[in-house]
Amino acid sequence: MKQLASTMGVALAFACMATAGAQAADVPGVTDTEIKVGTFGPLTGPVYIYGKLTMNGVEVYFNKLNEKGGIHGRKLVLVREDDLCKPEGAIAAVKKLIYEDKVFAIIGGGCSNSTLAARPEIEKAGVPFHVFAAVADGIVDPPAANIYTTQLTATIESHAQIQWALDRGAKKLAIVSQHDAWGRSRYEPMLQDLKRRGLQVVADEEVTVDQNDGTAQALRLKSSGADAVMLLGYPKAAAVLIRDSIKIGYKPIWIGQTAIQDLPALQGLIGIDGSLANFVSITTIPGHPDNPQYAEWRKLLKNTFPNDELSVFNLMGIAAAEVFGKVVDAAGKELTREKFLAAYNTIDNFKSSIYPGPITCKGQHKCNQSPAFVKLDNNNVVFAGTVVLK
Amino acid sequence: MPVQALVGHRSFLTLLFGTLLVLPAVANQYTLFVGNLMLLYIILALGLNILVGFSGQLAFANAAIYGIGAYGTALLQVHLGWSFWAAAPVGAVLAMVIGTLLAIPALRLSGIFLALATLAFAQATQWVLWHWQSVTFGAGGFRTPSPSFSWFAIKQDYGIYFVSWVTTVTLFLFTWRIMRSRIGRAFVAMRDGEIAAQSLGIDLLAYKAMAFALSSFYAGVAGALYSGLLGYMSPEGFDLFQMIIQKAMIVVGGLGSVVGSVLGAALLVYIMEFLREFKSTQEIVFGVLLVGFMVFQPNGLVVFMKRWLPGWEEPMHLPERPQAISKPDVVEGTTSGDHPVVERT
Repeated sequence: MKQLASTMGVALAFACMATAGAQAADVPGVTDTEIKVGTFGPLTGPVYIYGKLTMNGVEVYFNKLNEKGGIHGRKLVLVREDDLCKPEGAIAAVKKLIYEDKVFAIIGGGCSNSTLAARPEIEKAGVPFHVFAAVADGIVDPPAANIYTTQLTATIESHAQIQWALDRGAKKLAIVSQHDAWGRSRYEPMLQDLKRRGLQVVADEEVTVDQNDGTAQALRLKSSGADAVMLLGYPKAAAVLIRDSIKIGYKPIWIGQTAIQDLPALQGLIGIDGSLANFVSITTIPGHPDNPQYAEWRKLLKNTFPNDELSVFNLMGIAAAEVFGKVVDAAGKELTREKFLAAYNTIDNFKSSIYPGPITCKGQHKCNQSPAFVKLDNNNVVFAGTVVLK
Repeated sequence: MPVQALVGHRSFLTLLFGTLLVLPAVANQYTLFVGNLMLLYIILALGLNILVGFSGQLAFANAAIYGIGAYGTALLQVHLGWSFWAAAPVGAVLAMVIGTLLAIPALRLSGIFLALATLAFAQATQWVLWHWQSVTFGAGGFRTPSPSFSWFAIKQDYGIYFVSWVTTVTLFLFTWRIMRSRIGRAFVAMRDGEIAAQSLGIDLLAYKAMAFALSSFYAGVAGALYSGLLGYMSPEGFDLFQMIIQKAMIVVGGLGSVVGSVLGAALLVYIMEFLREFKSTQEIVFGVLLVGFMVFQPNGLVVFMKRWLPGWEEPMHLPERPQAISKPDVVEGTTSGDHPVVERT
């Protein structure tokens, strides 16, 4: 062991000298025929929908572009990495994409915390990063020169929920939230915005992701007299609460966010007809995936992923990829990372085929600032309106 | 040169740690990060093996203690403005102090009851990390300042890697020595029979506390380095899955084996990264590998190495494990009517 220790000591000194001036070098993944684009997010585990399904959407859009010859003669190739929705996993995934797969850019980020953890690595490497699903404001705020998002951020959604309630004349507001990373990223900005407006909530209830009974929360909400409830929870928690509220005869305005924008699915979970009469939700797409307007995407998705049914998460990926493709196109044939990032400034009031509002990256890194709401009308998802954030 | 000298555990360790040492000179940032994780998991596995493999304490709090070390280091930097170099030792000692307190219930509990008690502690720690918003920043996590290596004129990635390497080798050598000392023998005696150990004059409280303290210190050190490596803290990294990974490392490597801890940790980190290529199926493949290992090599990789590689001479302290009863190796001279003496492999 002494021999081992002394050998290692000499080797350590040598290795320190050898690496003192080492520099990381990366080559953007661009050839004459293809552009290698990386993506990371959860491919497995309970929140794989934010990773795997969104990536499937990106791939469907890339395939569509590639069938038409790609962009400036280059086909887009998607390289996937699983981050397991954990910070350690995201850093490893991003390092692999940048230094081993040598991708040109990254379009990804399924979970907020893991994407936040990966941000310094992405920023340091200077690789362009387009966020497709994660909502935490800290990913793009303060802005980094190489990071843009087309997803509504948590702050924008939380402010929009409050605005919707006030626009409908609500006097007593309540919050029901999950106290996990996802829920906190929405809850904190909501409290700050209420404080800024000089408002106080009459009830502040907590729910858990796997909750099966919401009677206690429903009773407390009812006794508080809240006439509008802002829901910061996943579909199951929301369904349980709405179901148990109906049972006790409590029917406020329910205001959801993008995690519960699939209203037919939510109604199915609740299991009571007409249960969403007073429910609106912020949406990434202004309609249900089953609507005829998405028929082309449904068909293309089936061609590539026969086991997938078109979902909101697929459409989120398609929508983000559409903007990403637009930026690649605007960057021109002589593609460099610098030109690509500069091209984001050309995205000004871009009318996406999926996002409900215009996309503007010119002068800002939160490109999507247009929260729209949907409601259920005769079992059809219809556009309910929008808000002007004040 | 005799074959034994080439394949013994010393050669293996020299090769492994030597490869890890020169890694920064040849590897890209991704490989360097994986190598750094490997070093941290070796520290965790060494510590956990002291507690579970050598001392026989079936505790499930190591992931939580790891989290306490990481959070302790990170929070001292963020809240009190300490440098990483001041915060890391305090974070590790904090983890050790809290971990040592677990020896108190361990004095009255054992087996599944100790497992449940420590599991409850781990869950309580998770709850604190998630919900003590004003101190831990809750579920949203927080960024931590990067350790400075300006005085070595090397980049932060390389700096934290070399610090991890030196720490790992130091703790490995320390473990190697201590497990061959009176303390190590007392741990093994305690594991093999507490009453017998007491009759030999071993103070159970003192040695259990020492086992928990050592194990927690290792976890705290690994946590402090993890904080410096990631630059970001959130509770997800210290959950039950983390605990399962650590347990798997010492079981795969070999319970009650110092070298086994190194083998298990290095192998599992490599496998987890290698399985990235399997994309969505990596958890299934990982599970199948573990089950396969449990079935075909339940005493760990070290036994396999010992059996097949001449010169692999680590005197292991294997815990009692049920052997196959169908074909016991009967020592010559016994008859079917005698109690057969089963040779331990």
